Amino acid sequence: MGYTRKLAIRNYIVEGFLILASLIVLLPLVILIFGSFKTSAEVLSFSLSLPDTWQFSNYARVFEEGGLSRAFLNSIWITGVSSIINIVASSAASFILARRETKASGAIYMYFFMGLIAPMSIITTIRVVQGLGFYGSITSVILIYAALNTAFSVFLYSGFIKTIPRALDEVAFLEGASVFGVFFRIVTPLILPVNATVAIMVFMSVWNDITIPVYFLTDSSTWTMPLSIYNFYGKYSRDWNLIFANLVLTSLPVFILYLFGQKYIVSGLTAGAVKG
Amino acid sequence: MKRAKNLYSYYMIYPALLIYSIFFVIPAIAGFYYSFTDWRLDRLELQFIGWDNFKKIFSDKTLILALQNTAIFAIVTVIGKNVIGLLLAVGLNMRLRTKNLLRAIFYSPSILSILVISILFTPMLRTEGTINNLLEAVGLHSLSQAWLTNPSIVIWTIAIVSIWQSAGFQMAIYLAGLQSISQEYYEAATIDGASSWKSFFKITLPLLLPAININLMLTLIGGLKVFSEVYVMTGGGPGNASQVVGTIILRSFGEGNWGLGTAVNTLLFVVVTIIAIPLLIFMRRKEVTE
Repeated sequence: MGYTRKLAIRNYIVEGFLILASLIVLLPLVILIFGSFKTSAEVLSFSLSLPDTWQFSNYARVFEEGGLSRAFLNSIWITGVSSIINIVASSAASFILARRETKASGAIYMYFFMGLIAPMSIITTIRVVQGLGFYGSITSVILIYAALNTAFSVFLYSGFIKTIPRALDEVAFLEGASVFGVFFRIVTPLILPVNATVAIMVFMSVWNDITIPVYFLTDSSTWTMPLSIYNFYGKYSRDWNLIFANLVLTSLPVFILYLFGQKYIVSGLTAGAVKG
Repeated sequence: MKRAKNLYSYYMIYPALLIYSIFFVIPAIAGFYYSFTDWRLDRLELQFIGWDNFKKIFSDKTLILALQNTAIFAIVTVIGKNVIGLLLAVGLNMRLRTKNLLRAIFYSPSILSILVISILFTPMLRTEGTINNLLEAVGLHSLSQAWLTNPSIVIWTIAIVSIWQSAGFQMAIYLAGLQSISQEYYEAATIDGASSWKSFFKITLPLLLPAININLMLTLIGGLKVFSEVYVMTGGGPGNASQVVGTIILRSFGEGNWGLGTAVNTLLFVVVTIIAIPLLIFMRRKEVTE
């Protein structure tokens, strides 16, 4: 009994300590959320106090003056399309790479894997996109994001596909199915959880990114949410309430996605990264 | 069997291979070539200038400072994110009543954009900002600092903000790793009379190696590629005190020094590869022997 009690006490101490530590994470986020409902004078203390009166109008102003609706649609389009391209292309490639155990497929896997390590070469990428004639366009950014996330997705997909028994494919082949049919009819339904993981991870990283837009989106009509907000931050450096409202708005979509996709993040990481 | 293998035809690889090659690999390889040229915005005829760009990098104080800052940032964040992430994971793997809530809280900053975090922290880190007010409120006047405007600590400040944001992500990976360790090992160790410390070092750490491996790689590579937090919080300032490789590339691009900017990128590429590949091989080997 003594041992169990000692464990219980230890757990209380650990829990108390972790609750205190969680305040370090929580407080800045509370300052952000409360601040987004304050007046521009009130917010300047950057303190934990509740707003005197809740200024819901901050959000309306941000949408009108910051031109956010356009940026929001751009972000949705760029993030959505690049995630879809990435998922379809990477899962199809990983299927073959996981199934063919030849030297060539091993080499191609390493070729993709290098992308996890090597940093992209931005200036020469700009030249390639210029050469292809669509520098500054949303299409260029979509394709770049799809390419940048290929390594990570192939890594997760091939780890997972290897755990699916090959016998399933062989039966389908005997029945006369094509490789395409096997992939879409048999493998795709089985890898749905990884699709969710990859979708969430790619969506979050693309939605939150600012590096690519800084270099590649030269025209303000193509800007994404983060870039619009960065610009807004430069212009309205006194109105921290509006800036904070802006930050909350840009975080909302990924936050909602996270709430729905939580379990896939952890299960996908376990399947792909930790066990793979 | 041979026939069945060939049924998996390569054409399903082509779309991914094509996109990845055009928008990632070809620019990277081209970068190696252009690093040795005097490529500029205003000059169309390229000249091959050998190692000149690299000599310039190592004789320019700002560029050396940028390399130094990148190294400091990478080392500090690798240690901070992994030590804190591992401690949080071990704590939150115990039977605590609030563990689900606490896990969600610690993870939450890592789903936000670096931009959001950086803008949020900028006013809080001012001389009259929230952080200093808090320090004074608890009687730690002496720790109060000009966090983002003091040249000698600015890169450390940015690193700490980065740790604040992503230690929760490392925690999630460590938790996933911890949960794949069978409880039987611990039960056997307890029967044998092993202390908690002993089972942590003899059971937890070795079996956690795959998670440690992936986390070290992610934080190291991410740290060497640092750009957004510096760009948003200080723009490389005050003066050039917080320049990193990423902001130097942006500056060279803006000034039209494309050859030099590409050379800086190539240097980063080489450094990342030299550090990452042996680490990867070493870690893989360790995993196998366990």
